Amino acid sequence: MAALEAYASRNADEVHTDVLLKARQACYKSRDAFYDCLEKESNKKPTEIASVGLLYPAECKALRAQFVNHCRASWVKHFDRLYCKNKRVTRLLDDGGETRR
Amino acid sequence: MPISRFLFFSSKHRFRQPLNLIRRFDLSKRTQSCSYTKSSRQSHRNPADYFLSPQETKASRSWSTYVIPAGGLLGLAGIATFVHYNDERRAVRKGTSVCQCVKEKNFEGENSGPNRVTGPIIGGPFTLIDTENRLVTEKNFLGNWILLYFGYTSSPDVGPEQVQMMAKAIDILDSKKNLKILPIFVTIDPQRDTPAHLRAYLKEFNSRIVGLTGPVGAIRQMAQEYRVFFKKVEEEGDDYLVESSHNMYLMNPSLEVVRCFGVEYTAEELAEEISKEMKKAST
Repeated sequence: MAALEAYASRNADEVHTDVLLKARQACYKSRDAFYDCLEKESNKKPTEIASVGLLYPAECKALRAQFVNHCRASWVKHFDRLYCKNKRVTRLLDDGGETRR
Repeated sequence: MPISRFLFFSSKHRFRQPLNLIRRFDLSKRTQSCSYTKSSRQSHRNPADYFLSPQETKASRSWSTYVIPAGGLLGLAGIATFVHYNDERRAVRKGTSVCQCVKEKNFEGENSGPNRVTGPIIGGPFTLIDTENRLVTEKNFLGNWILLYFGYTSSPDVGPEQVQMMAKAIDILDSKKNLKILPIFVTIDPQRDTPAHLRAYLKEFNSRIVGLTGPVGAIRQMAQEYRVFFKKVEEEGDDYLVESSHNMYLMNPSLEVVRCFGVEYTAEELAEEISKEMKKAST
C-alpha cells in the first residue's frame, strides 16, 4: 500500500513525447527512407558503420543521420537488427543453399 | 576395529567431508596405534595408565566424531525442508484453464482438440494505479468482459501494433456486434510509463483503454500470476527495450482467463473469436 502511494506521488507528470504517435510516425518514415536508400544503393560498397554490425554506403549518410535523430537509440538498434535478419533470410532463400555459408 | 567401521560408514553416507574425516581419522588412528604400543610397553609398569589413556582418547574421539556427521545430517534435513517449503509456496494450483495460444488458430470449432486444458490457473488478484492516479484492484473490473494486454509504451513496433489491433477489435465489437468489452493495458515498464504518460499514449488509440501501472513489485507479482515473462534488454542508462511474452488474455465477468491470443491474430479475427466466446458463455 505504501509503495503504491509513493509511486503515485512521485514523477506523476512526465510524458515522454518521443514514443507518442507523431514521433513514432516520423521515426517510421525516416527509417523506411533510410532502408530504401540501402536497397537502392546495394550495389555500392558499404563503408560506413551503422550499429549491430550493419554497414551502409556513404550515399545514405544523410538519411542515416535523420534516422538516428528521429528515433530512440534502442529503437535504431532494434530496427537494424531486424533488417539484418531479414536480409539474411532473403539471401538464404534466394541462394537456395548454393553459396557456402 | 570399530574405528575403521565407522570410518567406512561416514565416508559412504556423507560424501561432503570424507577427506577431512579420513584425514582426521588417519591421524588419530596413527596416534592411537602409537599410544597403544606405548601404553602396552608401559602396561607392566602402570596398568592404571593403560586403562585411562585409551579410554579418555576413545571417549573424546567418539563424542566429536558423532557430532560432525549428525550436524551434517541435520543440515541436509534442514535444506530438504526448506526446499520442500519453497516448493509448496510456489506451487501452481492445477485447474481447468484454457490457454493453448499457438494451437487455437488451427483448431476450428469446439470438437477438434481439447479447448479446455487442465493446467495452471492463470490469473489472480492485483492492486495497481490507473491513469487517473487512483488505486484499482481486480474487484473494480468484476462483471465486465476484459481484454488484458501486458505491454510498454516504448516498444518500437510490436507494442503499438498490438494496441492498435486491440483498439480496432474493440471498435468492431462495439459497432457491429454491440458487445461491450473492457480493454486493459498493463505496463511492464512502470519506471518510464507514468500514469500521465500512459493516458497520453492510450488516448491516441482508443479512449476506452484502461491503463494500469504501479510500483515494480506489484507489476512483477501480477505478471507472475498471469504467467507473463518480461525482462529489460539492451540497457543503456535510461534507454532500454523490454522483452516480453506477447499475449492478450480474454477474461470473463468473473475474472477467469478464458482465452489467450498471440501476435498472429488480426483485429477481425480477434473480434470474431471474442464474440464467439461471449456467445458461448451467455448460452
